[in-house]
Amino acid sequence: MKPVFSLQNIQLGRGNNFNLWIERLEVRDGVLYSLTGPNGAGKSTLLWLLAMLRRPESGAIYFGDTLVHGTRSELKKLRQQITLVEQAPYLFDDTVARNIAFGLRLRGIQGEERNNRISQALEDVGLGGFEKRKARELSGGEVRRVALARALALRPKVLLLDEPTANIDEASLQIVEALLTSLPQQGMTIIFSTHDLDQPERLGAEVIRMRDGKLEAATYPASPRQHVATAEKITWPRPLKISESSYLWL
Amino acid sequence: MPISVKNITIQALCCCLLVLAAVPALAIEHLRLATTTSTENSGLLDVLLPPFEEANNCRVDVLSVGTGKALKLGESGDVDVVLVHARSKEEKFVADGYGVDRRNIMYNDFVILGPIADPAGIAGSKKIAAALSRIAEKQEIFISRGDNSGTHIREMQLWQDIGVIPVGDWYLEVGRGMGEVITMANERGGYTLSDRGTYLAYQAKTDLVVVVEEIPGQFNSYGAIRVNPDRHPHLKVELAKRFLDYLVSSSARKLTTGFRVNGQQLFYIDE
Amino acid sequence: MDYLLTSLSAAIGLITQLNQEVLSTVGISLYTSLTAILLASVLGVPAGIALGLKQFTGRRLVLTLLNTLMSLPSVVIGLLLFGMLSRQGPLGGWELLYTPLAMIIGQTVLATPIVANYTLSVINGADNRIMSTAMTLGAGSLQSGWQLLKETRFGIMAAVIAGFGRVIGEVGVAMMLGGNIRGFTRTMTTAIALETSKGEFAFGLALGIVLMTIVLLINLFLNLLQHR
Repeated sequence: MKPVFSLQNIQLGRGNNFNLWIERLEVRDGVLYSLTGPNGAGKSTLLWLLAMLRRPESGAIYFGDTLVHGTRSELKKLRQQITLVEQAPYLFDDTVARNIAFGLRLRGIQGEERNNRISQALEDVGLGGFEKRKARELSGGEVRRVALARALALRPKVLLLDEPTANIDEASLQIVEALLTSLPQQGMTIIFSTHDLDQPERLGAEVIRMRDGKLEAATYPASPRQHVATAEKITWPRPLKISESSYLWL
Repeated sequence: MPISVKNITIQALCCCLLVLAAVPALAIEHLRLATTTSTENSGLLDVLLPPFEEANNCRVDVLSVGTGKALKLGESGDVDVVLVHARSKEEKFVADGYGVDRRNIMYNDFVILGPIADPAGIAGSKKIAAALSRIAEKQEIFISRGDNSGTHIREMQLWQDIGVIPVGDWYLEVGRGMGEVITMANERGGYTLSDRGTYLAYQAKTDLVVVVEEIPGQFNSYGAIRVNPDRHPHLKVELAKRFLDYLVSSSARKLTTGFRVNGQQLFYIDE
Repeated sequence: MDYLLTSLSAAIGLITQLNQEVLSTVGISLYTSLTAILLASVLGVPAGIALGLKQFTGRRLVLTLLNTLMSLPSVVIGLLLFGMLSRQGPLGGWELLYTPLAMIIGQTVLATPIVANYTLSVINGADNRIMSTAMTLGAGSLQSGWQLLKETRFGIMAAVIAGFGRVIGEVGVAMMLGGNIRGFTRTMTTAIALETSKGEFAFGLALGIVLMTIVLLINLFLNLLQHR
């Protein structure tokens, strides 16, 4: 099976203090991956990297067969196929429907099709009929499910979920877990991080284990590819500063 | 009893402030003089006042405003003496009981200033009034003081005499002193009515020239009036009297007629 | 006391009877200030956002410059622009001095650093998930920036209003570049400053009341936005 992602010699962070140091990682198409490891192992950082939101200091990323160079237009195109849902997601100060419409509009999806996708996505997360609700008036659990629906409506090739089932009520847990198992069967690649060590096995997910910013033994076979040896030298563009501690790749 | 404590504090503060305010006042007597921008701008007061101040061990505080405002300051008793130039207003000021003891001090004359190019073609005109009606006719830019000053009052009188109501894009009423108006007229390339004194004081800083002058001149005579002490008992009557006496004394007259700007005499005295 | 009371009643009379001169002066003030704040927003808001998000060499210098400009007295800005626009100045040929446009330029220069600076602090204080959320949903940098603007709209409005409060109430630029020409460049502040010296106290007072009301409304509105 073809990999959607191949990472080679990725280093993120400065000096000897790397936040992330991944010699090799391949992510195959249509597979459910779980990302485990203690706090501070670099799970969220890896998800940000894969979402093309955080740039590495060095190394090469392939999406499919193409090497990522980090130009703006390229990044925008890639991000339209990869969507990240954070553990504490941000909803725009607007209605639920407009939140979901945001990404659809950017993809040129309009009218009937847009409305259908919105209501379908809300149904999928068990929030049918929530279109007109104001984002600021939702409960914490509802916010997380709307954020998930907002990503699902875009039907991304890769869905990245940061702790989607942490601190969640029982009903929501079942909805999310059902989606995690069913979506890869429709061809979506999902990587989710979790602290629940039984969850990967329960959901039939492959496990990527991390510690101190590095990968521990992965349970999947690494398939060596031609371009591994010829990793090109990339000069990454300057990052966008979002706060003192976090940088956005623009 | 927080209230009484507060009261005492306030009283103490007030006392302190009063003492502070009184100290410099005790040291030297101050005479407050309201005068027009033309006298102040010309620089005449700088030579006229020091001998008086020295002889009487006092200070003359000069408020230089338009004639209208100067008279208002007199009405409200904010100054001891006014030195202004608008005969009709001065006489009304005395007649209304606001002022006493009016004396003629000096005069200079009015001229029309304008750009050398003279777009209205009024250069060489013998009458200021005629030149003004030509400016109005050709709608050339004219900057008016518009501040109820003596010059402004004279200007309004002239418009009235020639039966022109100055309105339109060309007529700019700016409500400012003579010097600022000369600067603005220069920038806009327009005309204005000015007393000769202020113009001479500004001559080096402006490209404007005297386009029209009359012989004998459109007189601009200055009068000094004491503010009526019956209305405002706090006024410095003695010092004010001495100041008026000084202004008409022969030594002050010599200083006034001897005053030169760029070699030109500015002020004349009716003997 | 009597003087104040009669002037006050005369001033209120001028306002309630919609005195032509008062209306025209208020109109000129609003026209120049609103145009200036519009221009200042177009320049200052994007500048503030860019400064808040981008790292570039010389950023610190720009920030210092911005802070200096923000606290610069309006007469100094008036002075510099007077030099530019005067007949002898480099832009003298445009013949802008003593026109409303000159005032608008001056007030724009005055308000832009304020708008930019307030915008910058709004952006610094904004939820840092806004940009990343927009981007992961497929927005480009401009679209994400626009979304950031929408999410922080109340803060940005406060920035714009703060700039407006500054220009509507300033005298220096209006006086030096406008020249207080009646019916043309005479604003509320220049009229108050100069008409009073003509003895037209009631007129100045009427404008003062209008100006105070405007500033009060602005601040009430600002307060409302900040407590949202």
